[in-house]
Amino acid sequence: MIEWLAAPLAHDFMVRGLIVAVLVGTGCAVLSCYLVLKGWSLMGDAISHAVLPGIVLAHVGGLPMKLGALVAGLGCALATGYIRRNSRVREDAVLAVVFAGMFAAGLVLFVKVDTDQHLNHVLFGNVLGVTWREVVETGLVVVPVVALALLRRRDLFLVCFDPGHARAIGLDAKRLEIALLVGLALVIVAALSAAGIVLVVAMLIAPGAIGFVATRRFDAMIAVAASVSIGASVLGVLASFHLDVATAPLIVVLQAACFLPALWIGRRAVR
Amino acid sequence: MGGEVLELLLEPFAYSYMARAIWVSALVGGVCAFLSCYLVLKGWSLMGDALSHAVVPGVAVAYLVKLPYAAGAFAAGLLAALAMAAVQRVTLLREDAAIGLVFTTMFAAGLLIVSVNPASVSVQTIIMGNVLAIADEDVVQVVGIAAVALAVLLLRWRDLMLAFFDASHAQAVGLSPWRLRVLFFVLLSACTVAALQTVGAIMVIAMVVTPGATAYLLTDRFGRMLVVAVLIGTGTAASGAYVSYFLDGATGGLIVVAQTLAFLAAFAFAPKHGRLAAWRRTRAASSGGADR
Repeated sequence: MIEWLAAPLAHDFMVRGLIVAVLVGTGCAVLSCYLVLKGWSLMGDAISHAVLPGIVLAHVGGLPMKLGALVAGLGCALATGYIRRNSRVREDAVLAVVFAGMFAAGLVLFVKVDTDQHLNHVLFGNVLGVTWREVVETGLVVVPVVALALLRRRDLFLVCFDPGHARAIGLDAKRLEIALLVGLALVIVAALSAAGIVLVVAMLIAPGAIGFVATRRFDAMIAVAASVSIGASVLGVLASFHLDVATAPLIVVLQAACFLPALWIGRRAVR
Repeated sequence: MGGEVLELLLEPFAYSYMARAIWVSALVGGVCAFLSCYLVLKGWSLMGDALSHAVVPGVAVAYLVKLPYAAGAFAAGLLAALAMAAVQRVTLLREDAAIGLVFTTMFAAGLLIVSVNPASVSVQTIIMGNVLAIADEDVVQVVGIAAVALAVLLLRWRDLMLAFFDASHAQAVGLSPWRLRVLFFVLLSACTVAALQTVGAIMVIAMVVTPGATAYLLTDRFGRMLVVAVLIGTGTAASGAYVSYFLDGATGGLIVVAQTLAFLAAFAFAPKHGRLAAWRRTRAASSGGADR
């Protein structure tokens, strides 16, 4: 057993992959708790797809790819807010129109512009192909976001769960919502190289949902979400080495496998 | 000179694969646009995204065991719908989280299956669609699905409208809202499968949301909204496919870009609900007293 676990770690790229997967898993898990409570599951989906044109345009302009991705992701959230306020179309439809449109524009640009990014890597990520530099970059983004999200968890929880109450006790709900969005965009961009657009979405929903059904206390929910996500990331990276399958999808499937046990535990606790 | 331009513009139609891509896209765009009117007004946009991702494991398995593409996708779509209903029934999770949990997991499972046997199916085709190189038997499937869905919608559009927006009236005239809802989601999953072939899993959501959202800005009557949406859906899909000839590919992306541009144009210039009209109204209201 020990050997099974240790064998992959003899390779440098496996160590890097493991670190980056755990970082991304932790960041996504903590944020997913807030998204699940707030009803923002589609928001993670939207921002992660909307980064594509930013990546391509940043390449054209000679800017860092992650900067372009961040601007595009936040731009999607802002544009959705603007159109929502100024038209009668419902928010979910506006978000869908904006993010699908941005993704499509990114795709068209991608075909026309010769970037050094491989489209499959942006879409599906490549956990086992990250460099040390990318590991450090991911850490520099994820660790502060997680720290802030945990420090201000009382306020953020209130804003997500009961915005009316949050305003009544004098919290600036708008500012906290924007902070949450920025944190979300930062973690998504940091997660791109490891998980890819398509699977970040899953990592931003499943851990929070699992924590939600397992317990009734918010602190415990975060703890469950983070442990499930970290556990699935470690096991997923190691098992994908032995089974020779795609890493990120395996992590997501392992995460989801925790849902039924979590549900069972949660129901027993209530009884 | 004029003749040369015309020749260049007609060039795509000289290739049978282009002509076919254009009319197949137009057909699928039209049917999806029909459905989009209901989705937009009911707030079900996420369902379009969910179904298109959830069918991927079905497609992957169908390719592995050499079953028709549509059969696998349809089975997976049904499984997803059941799983979503079950999660919402046994937990207190919000609807969006329950839907999100199921579809992202099924999508990941699909990618996992593909990664075990990468030669069997091209991920690129599932994710991006590839209507330019669509196989003959796939054309038959897509056209069959779209034609049946269109026929059912033309026959039952009024019943669906009543059941969704005025359930008590629907029941009073003897319609079953529950049965019509099932019918609608069966049609939606079938059209999702058809759209998957055209624009790919990620952009299906635009096909089943954007034309309806655009039409909603242009008219206040549901019957007219359906007509406008179908015209927009057909027109954008055909023109996106047509333009892709000159830009060498990315057909799905161009179709969705065309749909988004149509939405933005309506958002800015719609006669009653557009930004320009709203701006004119505020200006007229603020200067109204001084002019008279």
